[in-house]
This record gives sequence, C-alpha cells and structure tokens, in this order.
Amino acid sequence: MASNGTIRILDGNTFVVSEDTGDIEATPSEPTGLFSLDTRFLSKWVLTVNGERLNALSFDDLQYYEARFFLVPGMATHYIDAKLSIIRERAVGGSFREQIIILNHDEKPVDLEIRIDAGSDFADLFQVKDEILNKKGEIYSEVEADCLRLGYRRGNFVRETAIVSSAPARYDREGFAYSIHLEPNEQWETRIDVHTTAVGPGGRDLRLGVSTHSAERLALQHDLEKWINDAPKLNSQHEALASTYRRSLVDLAALRFSPLSLGGATLPAAGLPWFMTMFGRDSILTCLQTLPFTPALSKTTLRILASLQGARFDDFRDEDPGRILHEMRYGETAAFEEQPHSPYYGSVDATPLFVVLLDEYERWTGDAALVKELEQESRAALRWIDEYADLVGTGYIWYERRNTDTGLENQCWKDSWDSISYSDGKLPPFPRATCEVQGYAYDAKVRGARLAREFWNDPAYADQLEQEARQLKERFNRDFWVEDGEYFALALDPDGRQCDVLSSNIGHLLWSGIVSHERAEKIAQHLVGPRLFSGWGVRTLAEGEIRYNPIGYHNGTIWPFDNSFIAWGLRRYDFAEEAAIIASGILDAATYFSGRLPEAFGGYQRELTKFPVEYPTACSPQAWSTGTPLLLLRTMLGLEPHEGHLSVDPRLPVGMGRIEVLDIPGRWGRVDAFARGRLEVHNLID
Amino acid sequence: MDATTRFFEEIDRRGYEPRLAKTAGTMRVDLQEGPHTTHWFLRIEHGQIAVTRENQEADTVIGTSPGLFEDIAAGREHGIAAILRGDMTVSGDARLLVQVERIFPGDPDARGPRRKFEREVR
Repeated sequence: MASNGTIRILDGNTFVVSEDTGDIEATPSEPTGLFSLDTRFLSKWVLTVNGERLNALSFDDLQYYEARFFLVPGMATHYIDAKLSIIRERAVGGSFREQIIILNHDEKPVDLEIRIDAGSDFADLFQVKDEILNKKGEIYSEVEADCLRLGYRRGNFVRETAIVSSAPARYDREGFAYSIHLEPNEQWETRIDVHTTAVGPGGRDLRLGVSTHSAERLALQHDLEKWINDAPKLNSQHEALASTYRRSLVDLAALRFSPLSLGGATLPAAGLPWFMTMFGRDSILTCLQTLPFTPALSKTTLRILASLQGARFDDFRDEDPGRILHEMRYGETAAFEEQPHSPYYGSVDATPLFVVLLDEYERWTGDAALVKELEQESRAALRWIDEYADLVGTGYIWYERRNTDTGLENQCWKDSWDSISYSDGKLPPFPRATCEVQGYAYDAKVRGARLAREFWNDPAYADQLEQEARQLKERFNRDFWVEDGEYFALALDPDGRQCDVLSSNIGHLLWSGIVSHERAEKIAQHLVGPRLFSGWGVRTLAEGEIRYNPIGYHNGTIWPFDNSFIAWGLRRYDFAEEAAIIASGILDAATYFSGRLPEAFGGYQRELTKFPVEYPTACSPQAWSTGTPLLLLRTMLGLEPHEGHLSVDPRLPVGMGRIEVLDIPGRWGRVDAFARGRLEVHNLID
Repeated sequence: MDATTRFFEEIDRRGYEPRLAKTAGTMRVDLQEGPHTTHWFLRIEHGQIAVTRENQEADTVIGTSPGLFEDIAAGREHGIAAILRGDMTVSGDARLLVQVERIFPGDPDARGPRRKFEREVR
C-alpha cells in the first residue's frame, strides 16, 4: 500500500506508515509512525548497521497487514556491491512485530553493530501534521533489563510503547543495540515485539475485553481468504473490471474496523490510514454500496450506530436525541475535550441515511429481526428529522453548528468551508438546507413507512410518514426548483433564497426519489451534459459557475462515490443509458489507478488530459471510493431485490463484454447474474 | 441529596428505561475515595432496572472517584471522554457501559437546537 513513497500496513486502527526502508522519522510533512487508538506510539524507528543508514533494494507489501523490505548498507548514490543483506519483515495484528534478518555474503567473517533508534512523541492523530510544541503531559523513557518502555502521562491518561527483542539487546533510553559476529554465509536474526498500551489508573488497558478480529499472521491470512471466498465471484472478459473488483474486496477487508464497544464485530472505517474510525456518513454510504456483495458489514454498522445514537442535548458535541454520530476518536484531544469527537454528532445526513440503510438491508437479506431490534432507534431518527433538524420551521433539514469553536460548519458530505454558495459566488448565512439531505429525508420517510407497516405493526405511523413524504416532495419541488436553469438549487438560505448553482447533488435527488416524474429527464440531461460531465464522471460543481475549479475540493473535482449514487439514481428513474455512461467513465478512470479509485480527481475534460488527474489527498484507499465499483456493478447489472427474489436487468456498455457475478447472497440464498454489453454509450455522449 | 444518589434512585424508582430495552446484564459502579469505596449495583433485564448498594460480582465494573461521578450524574462531565482520559475505568463488558452511558443526563446548560425549540430544551 504505497503512496507518496510511504509504506502502510494496518490491522483495525493500528497501523504503521514508514519510508520505503521501513524506517520511521516523523515530521509534520512526513507524518510516519506506528499509530493505534488515534495516537502515535512510535515517531522514530531507524535501523543502522555500523552506524550507517540502509538503502532499500525493494519492498513488498504482501498483504494489507504485512510488508517486507530488502536492504543493503550505504546509500543509493554509489554502486551497490554489498556483502550484507538485511531483510525486515513486519506485521500488525493487535501489536506490531518486526523480524530482522542479516546475511553475510562475504568470504570473510564480519563484526557488526546493529542499532535501532526508537522514540515517540505520542502525538494525537489530529496533531501529526503540526509542529508539536506544547504537549500538556510528560514524555518518559524507561530502560528495563529486557525491555525499553516509552510513555506519555497526562493525569490518568497514560499511553505506553513497550519494546522487547528476542535476541539479547542492550537497551538505552533512545533505542537498543546488538554486537554480532557473522561467519561467511552465516545469518543472524531477531524478532522485535512492540506492544502499545492505553493504561487506566487501575493498570487496565482500555482495550481489554475487546477481541480483535485477528491477531496473528496466520489468523489474518485466513480471515482475508475467507472474506474473499464469502463474496460473490466476478468473471469478466473485461480484465480491468475483474481486477478492480478484486482490489475493492481486499481494500474493504483492510478498511474493516472493530470499535471498542462492539466486541470484535467490524464495520467499514472511512479511509486509510488517517480515518480508521467510525464515521456515520461514510460507513453508511459504503454499506449501501457494498450490500449486494458484503451484507454483514451493514448489520454491524447499523448496530453500532444505533448503540451510540444521540440521547440528549450537548452543544459541544452537536448532539440531539435521535441523531446519528458523525465521527468517533480515541486520542488525547478527544479525551480532554479539545476536540468534540467522543463522539461528535455534527452531520445532518447520517440520521436519515440510517433508516435508508436499514430498509435496504432488509430488502436484500430478509433480516426482519434486525428491523424489529432497531425499531426504537429508527423512530428516534425519524423524529429527529422533524423535531430537531428543522431549525427554520419550514419543513426541511437545516444545519448550524452549536459548537462554533471546533464543530463543523458544513454538515453535509461537501463539508469544506466554501462548498455551498450562490451563483454569484457568495456564501450563504446559516442555517443552511442542502438539497440532497432533503432527498434522504424523503427516502427515509418512505422506507420508514414500509418498515412500520410490514414489521412494526403500526399502519397509522406508516400512513403518517407517507403523507409527510408526499408533502415534503411537493414542497421541495416548489422551493428548490431553479426555473431558468431547470435544475434543483444546491441549497436554501434561512430566508428561503436559493443557492442557485448547478451541482452534482441533483443526482442524489434521483437516487432518493424526491424528483417529480416530469422533471427527471431534465435532471438526467444535466448530469450527462457538458457542464457537469467531464467524460470521466460528474463534477461536484458545473463548469461555468463562478466557484468552479477543476481541482476545487468540492467545487469541480469528480468524486467516484458521488458518481456511484448518481448512476444508481439514474437507473431508478429508468435512465439506464445515462447510468451506463457514468459507470463506464468511472470504471475507465479506475484503470489509471490500478483499480483503486482515489477520493477525488480533477474535473478536467477527458479529451484535454487523456487521463484522470488525482486530487492530492492523504487517504487511500477511501471506503466509499472502494465501494464505488461495487455499486456501479449493481447499477449496470440492474440488481434489485424484488418480492423475495433477485431481479437482474443488465444494461451494459458494449466494451464491458460479458460479465457474470456468481453467488450473490441474499434472502434468496445465493443467485448468479449474467450480462453482456450491448449499449453503444459513446454515441450517447457525442 | 447529591446528584449521584438522585440519579440512581430516580432510575430505581422508574424501574423501566426504554433506552435499555435490548440490554441485559449487571453493572457495578465503584466510587473510590482513599480507603473508602461505595458501590452501586444495577441489574438490567431488558429495560427493567433494579438498583442496590450491594458489592457483588458484575458483568461490567466501573471505577472512578465520587467527585467525577457526581459531575457525570449532573451532566457536567461526559462519561466516554472520562473513560478515554483514564479518569474512569471499565472492566468486563464495555458494551453495557456504552448503553448505560446514554442515560446519563445532558449538560443542564445545553442550548439544544435553536429557534422553535428554545423552550423545550430548558
């Protein structure tokens, strides 16, 4: 998992980011380290032989949890004629383990001084890109007979790194060393175990009692094989598609995260490595994308989000009763309430999407028990929409943060500061009501009504929700429709004035079904029209808008996940060709990233750059980009649960050839889907 | 009466907490101050709650100071943040604590969502 010259391996939220030699020397611009529980446990980890740094001949990231580095002494600038080889093999799985093997290829014996410099700044994940000057607690280093212990203490908050070598080592406060003698062709090795602990006053670890889904290398390997075997098999003449599918499955496995309070069950975290935690929005949308392939993720996601559902008013955390969390963190800044993530609730879409996912999950799996189990939480989520989110009293979901210090300004998926604007480029005041969230609310009510009628035995509530949904749809189509442009406004300001820019958000409206039938065609035309569609995908903001910038984070780049929901929406309104255009554009783009779609790429015209220009971000793979190819497959194959069976209605572009997806799990047991590309999509774009 | 006693007596008096309807288990809260430890023992059976002062084995054991628990019971301090800080410890089943934490009161000074709901928040 290399990116920008760094190697990443991880298990859950323990991960190592290092240079290509395996060394760690953290700086604000190169935030390498060993991380766990949102804390850096090693910021220095440098191997030297006779005082010399090593040079990487090659590295091999074998699996997401292990890597191997082949090293020789000296730097790359001169001819390498090394008489020594050094192999570093490392893995994470609960703790961090490294095996060092040194081979003497010389015909003479050698005496070597092997040393690892080790240290930690115990930075909070939120601080790793800053100069850390004012840690409030005390950093210490203790040398024991057979262990080096690095620690950080602030009151009862204690984090420790314990380093133990299997071969006898000389420990000092800055590392440990070995003096070895190697005969010709002899080899030496040692295993180093690095344990991270979060200790409470009673000496108990925060994580005790939490069984990680995997600990040892063999268990991890077995777990990954089982994960792949349990997922449907994809056979395709389109080789790139098959490899993109496999890449997505492996990355999804890596992105599984086991929260402290869930007893080992896993849900998708948002992104690797900096977002290996629960995010309401990202976890739910990723589950919606991957439901046909890996339905078990949805069950745990729904359960954990339900168990942490908002229960009271908390202005620091932007918590309300019934609200679904935005982000959970375990580091020092969350613990000491310098950041609100314990958990933070500042998102307005996670709550309606929670109900949407529960309904979609039942339609696929037939798991009525979970729908009954989560009745109370679903009702609380639906109540939140009307009781606490309608800040203006006009029947919409609005947002305005109460935590004005560290809370989020924009609480929709386009969460950067300048993502919501009028067509003159000005930013609207708060509260704001973005359009796609009203669609989610509509969908949540419609789906909530089905759940109430079929599972909660409450037809009166179902009728009420359906009536509310009808009224919301009518109101929305009146208030958000931009007459002269013939599309829906991005948002409303508190006076009801439209943020009248053309944006990708209109595609989510098709997905949720809030668009009145006669307007759908116009929306579909915009989505594949020249202002929004680049040839690769739909831009977040249309070309021609004042704030449009092909590399503007939410003002012109193309987000693969956004496009996957847009394609789903287009199919929902029977625009199968338009959906296929978008699906094939994004899947083509994936081939330029070896099957791993980035968070976003530039909105440049396809003919102009010939390849998709990656937006520079620190996170890859990202969960909802990883889920994108799976949702696009579902969309192109027209997979839809229907009265207890799986209906398949493929509409594939010609270039896709023949595709078969075998063993799609669901209430029907396991079913296969077959398709052949027949659509001439290029004719549609020209 | 202190907020801690009020919190537990109120739960015991209500006898039923819908937010714990899916929860079953026992939890003991140990409040340590010097050599002296006071105990609260909760038996939760699908929303039915009984509170006693017994010191007996439980699925989940919470340990903290009487002062911090007093602030949590009054809504001035936050339970999960206290655990992350190490000011409150959990042993046994952490899931039960996450459930029970939801019934701790919110900050009495919280404003809640503004406009329409200003009055309800009080």
